[in-house]
Amino acid sequence: MNIFRSAIFLGLQLTFVVSAYAQTSPAVKISGEVTKPLTFSVDDLAKMKRSTAVLTDRDGKAHSYQGVALQELLEQAGVTMGKQLRGEQLTKYLMVKCADGYEVLFSLAELDSSFTDRVVILADKLENGPLPDGKGPFRLVVPGEKKPARSSFQVVEMVIRYAKD
Amino acid sequence: MQVSGYKILISILLVAGLSIAGFRRQGPEPLRIDYPAYFGNRTFVPDDNPTTVEGVALGRRLFYEKKLSASQQISCGTCHRQELAFTDGKAFSTGVDGSPQPRNTMSLVNLLWVRNFFWDGRVAGLEMQAAVPLTNAHEMGQSLEVSAALLSKEVVYRSLFSKAFGTDSLTGEGIVKALSQFERTLVSADAPYDRYLRGDYQPTAAELNGISLFYGNPDAARNIRGAGCAHCHGGPKTYIELYHNNGLDTIPADSGREKVSGQSYDRGRFRVVSLRNIALTAPYMHDGRFKTLEEVLSHYNEHIKPSKTLSPFLQGVGNSNASDGLTLGLTDREKKDLLAFLHILTDSTFITDKRFSDPFR
Repeated sequence: MNIFRSAIFLGLQLTFVVSAYAQTSPAVKISGEVTKPLTFSVDDLAKMKRSTAVLTDRDGKAHSYQGVALQELLEQAGVTMGKQLRGEQLTKYLMVKCADGYEVLFSLAELDSSFTDRVVILADKLENGPLPDGKGPFRLVVPGEKKPARSSFQVVEMVIRYAKD
Repeated sequence: MQVSGYKILISILLVAGLSIAGFRRQGPEPLRIDYPAYFGNRTFVPDDNPTTVEGVALGRRLFYEKKLSASQQISCGTCHRQELAFTDGKAFSTGVDGSPQPRNTMSLVNLLWVRNFFWDGRVAGLEMQAAVPLTNAHEMGQSLEVSAALLSKEVVYRSLFSKAFGTDSLTGEGIVKALSQFERTLVSADAPYDRYLRGDYQPTAAELNGISLFYGNPDAARNIRGAGCAHCHGGPKTYIELYHNNGLDTIPADSGREKVSGQSYDRGRFRVVSLRNIALTAPYMHDGRFKTLEEVLSHYNEHIKPSKTLSPFLQGVGNSNASDGLTLGLTDREKKDLLAFLHILTDSTFITDKRFSDPFR
């Protein structure tokens, strides 16, 4: 079975990875129920339509973050947003995955401007400067929530799926 | 009468025959793994390896089978000893070639809820994990093909594999699948803390304060005491699948998850472990540097080393009881109370459960 052949070669592969890995530039992948799987870097994000969101952080102070609206990113990946977000599509969710293994979930309607005025962004700047160590290069900024627990750090992947239960 | 008796006999034989055929067709019997509702059902069992009574029985035997190592001297159970919550008390276990492992042997507990394995989470699923120590030259050092060929010579294994997988061929794939099935049954959920959650145990004042500190976030400005442990170790399982740099070194000798991802922001990040049975699994950390839980608490309270990849939850005013925000700032009394809580995570039922013990003894 392939999985076990893979396992046998895992040691070899890891040795290779350990000895030869180069620092790859950070990127975010959008996958799952998408018609155009998308992977973008910091440079790619800088060229997209920019938005600003204000978040009250754990220090109790409001900070301005700059980045790209999640709706914009999801539309680029061909996710059913806007006029398409109806009926069965309303059972879809977005799972946001972070470098440290942290995961948070949104329903698509929470992120769509035809449902809400709140704009959730994937930020790459804080007050037009770099994000602090441990939080960047991509941080989700979810304004208007009492806890910042969904404004997760170091986003690496966004997966769209149907809830099936 | 004779004809009637003959008919009855035929009927009985037919029913018996069909029952046997029906029984044989059923194959291995599905095994339901019991666990408390408060653990939640976000469990991970691959579709192609459901847990069965026969698979687990085989897996248990294989777990303690020394023929799976090149030296015929080491089994999984050599480094994963039940009485130590499936650890071996060493900083680094020794493999068949006598070389020490690069990282501390991990405890095997509540793996049903784990998706990615090893200290750096580099392998997805128990089946993939199990193959690594079996075949790694510095661990058990024997290919799955050789192991399968050795076991095939024994009638008992041919029978056990046949019952578990309904096939006469004994393969490496079957070995790791059975091992994984057994490991998924290693559920620890009968510690005093579980009995407290079920309403059957009244913790001492120290233990209760320990629980409160464990789950509480500190807020020095409002004089709210907390240790903020639950941020990463939270919930009744005391486990969330996370990887953090917990401030052991400013420049880590082992870069941890960075080797897997190739990202500098992962430098010095390692798995946040389950705290179940933690009092039994010394020494601590990926390199076994701390011999006691007191040393671990002292590390988190007073000796966090700063670096670019230090966990955001181990630094700053929002994570400190001290007004300067430089350390966690727990008192000696509070550290003792936290320790009291950690000790009620020791599950004596788990470490003496005969279902998990060495069948060769």
